[in-house]
Amino acid sequence: MSVEKVIETDVLVIGGGLAGCFAAVKAREQGVDVTLVSKGNIGRSGQTPWADGTFVFNPEWGQELEELTERAHTRGEYINNRDWTERVIKDSYARFQDLVSWGIPFLKDDKGDFSRMGIGGQARPGVAWTLHANPGSWVQPLRSQPQKMGVHILERIMIADLIKQDGKVVGAIGIPTDSWDLYIFKAKATVICTGAGGFKPVGSWPIGDLTADGHVMAYKAGAEITGKEFEDFHGGMATRTGGLYFPNIPFPPLYNAEGDEVPERGFNLSGDLEAHAGRAPLRRGEEEFFNNSALGMSVHTAEGIWPVDENCASSVPGLYAAGDSCGTMMTGAFYSIGGTGTANASVTGARAGEAAAQYAKQAEKATIDDQELARLKEFILAPTERKGGFSPNWVTQLLRNTMMPYFISRIKHGERLKAALTLVEFMRDHLSTKLFARDPHELRLAHETKNMIINAEMKLRASLYRTESRGTHYREDYPRRDDPNWLAWVLLKEEDGRMKVFKKPIPKEWWPDLKKPYEERYPPRFTFSV
Amino acid sequence: MSIERIDYELCTGCGICVKSCPMDVLRIDNESNKAIIQYPEDCMLCKWCTFDCPENAIYISPEKESPLLTSWG
Repeated sequence: MSVEKVIETDVLVIGGGLAGCFAAVKAREQGVDVTLVSKGNIGRSGQTPWADGTFVFNPEWGQELEELTERAHTRGEYINNRDWTERVIKDSYARFQDLVSWGIPFLKDDKGDFSRMGIGGQARPGVAWTLHANPGSWVQPLRSQPQKMGVHILERIMIADLIKQDGKVVGAIGIPTDSWDLYIFKAKATVICTGAGGFKPVGSWPIGDLTADGHVMAYKAGAEITGKEFEDFHGGMATRTGGLYFPNIPFPPLYNAEGDEVPERGFNLSGDLEAHAGRAPLRRGEEEFFNNSALGMSVHTAEGIWPVDENCASSVPGLYAAGDSCGTMMTGAFYSIGGTGTANASVTGARAGEAAAQYAKQAEKATIDDQELARLKEFILAPTERKGGFSPNWVTQLLRNTMMPYFISRIKHGERLKAALTLVEFMRDHLSTKLFARDPHELRLAHETKNMIINAEMKLRASLYRTESRGTHYREDYPRRDDPNWLAWVLLKEEDGRMKVFKKPIPKEWWPDLKKPYEERYPPRFTFSV
Repeated sequence: MSIERIDYELCTGCGICVKSCPMDVLRIDNESNKAIIQYPEDCMLCKWCTFDCPENAIYISPEKESPLLTSWG
């Protein structure tokens, strides 16, 4: 009935979005055997299907590196990783050329040049340039490029856990969504490209398959995770989902229940503050407006596995990360340069893929301990052994209801974060352990639910730890930025079975001028008054 | 609510929608060899199925229901 399939490969790429495709292609260019596994379908999973453009830096187009990096420093509130800001900006043109050669039809103007748009989609020179190609046009090129190059592609298989041996990641175990087979991947190097992590916001941002799988697996394997305290800022309409939108559609202004226009600046905390003051419902034009559309996600390039070198290696040998799975912190505490989510995915995907291939070339083949394999299989299949328990969809709904209110996830407060954490810990210890799955589809849901609960714990702990506000992390009980104490990154690491939280100060050379008045150091801070 | 129905006069069973859905909502039925909505509760209204369907056979309701939260489930 169920078959155990063992697949040996040099480089295992987990995730088939933009980062995963780059990782697979660049690894394959090094001449090693590459296997790409997607939980869904390449080009139609994660956020990649909605990529409608990418940031590109080309001095020939009149852009200046310093203008861009300055923007990241100030709007990212000084905790962007400047090395990564520069790397992604500088590599972006080469990655753009890759995408063009793969066949992605970037829009051109009447003269046949690539159509370049400034921030906000205005068709005039801006600080940053993004080049656009309609969503939907990326799918075929992304599917066919790895295939053409001989990458082994498997779809509809969820990687449920990594295999670790002698302190190194040596493979992974996958569960298909439509059979009881089990896939055991033995790999010399693994690249996690599983995207961001959300809580399946209902009918909102279409990120239902982004459940922080890679962040959680890497965390359990001993890697450090960062950026969990920052929040994705997207709002949404009650009557419209995130599905299929095109760029350059201006949003009507926001009005509160008293008929006053709500001034907005970048991050949409303005809406939350209106609701908090009792002035909801909010409307844009005729439609009611809400926040938390991307509930659970952090800001692009902020959350993810902490890269310990310039090629996206994690702190665990054999494990690399790219895209939204990799916390490069290149735009900082706020999404400061448009189009860099895509550029970050391309750049880190390429670097991680190449580095993973180089590592695999010199790595010895690992023999996987039978006991460890048996332990992992038991963990992965546990929901199928149960006759009853809790359904993944009920637990997910409970988790979503716990994290959804604006006063938990967006206007944070220590007491409320602790309250939510108490519930999330209960879910982790008592509900997650009793999830049951009646079919392979539900087994995938069970693992997604387990991962979302750990992601919630990560977000709550990181938010509690950072006792200040910065960028898209706002604490009502600590509303001001606290320099220099919190000119730092918050990291999470598993130690003795517990989630340890600690900070890593940014290099002193990256500090803002502390003699400058607070209001000048932080001009676009979204709460205006603090 | 969300993905509502497939028009079986138009559906050819090509399977494109199964490959378009990130949430594994759609499957090909073994007997009819046409697409079926197997897990409608997992539909997140991304609409890729209807965008990719060459026959325009999929109807998606713009409404998405969220069931009441019960004390356990």
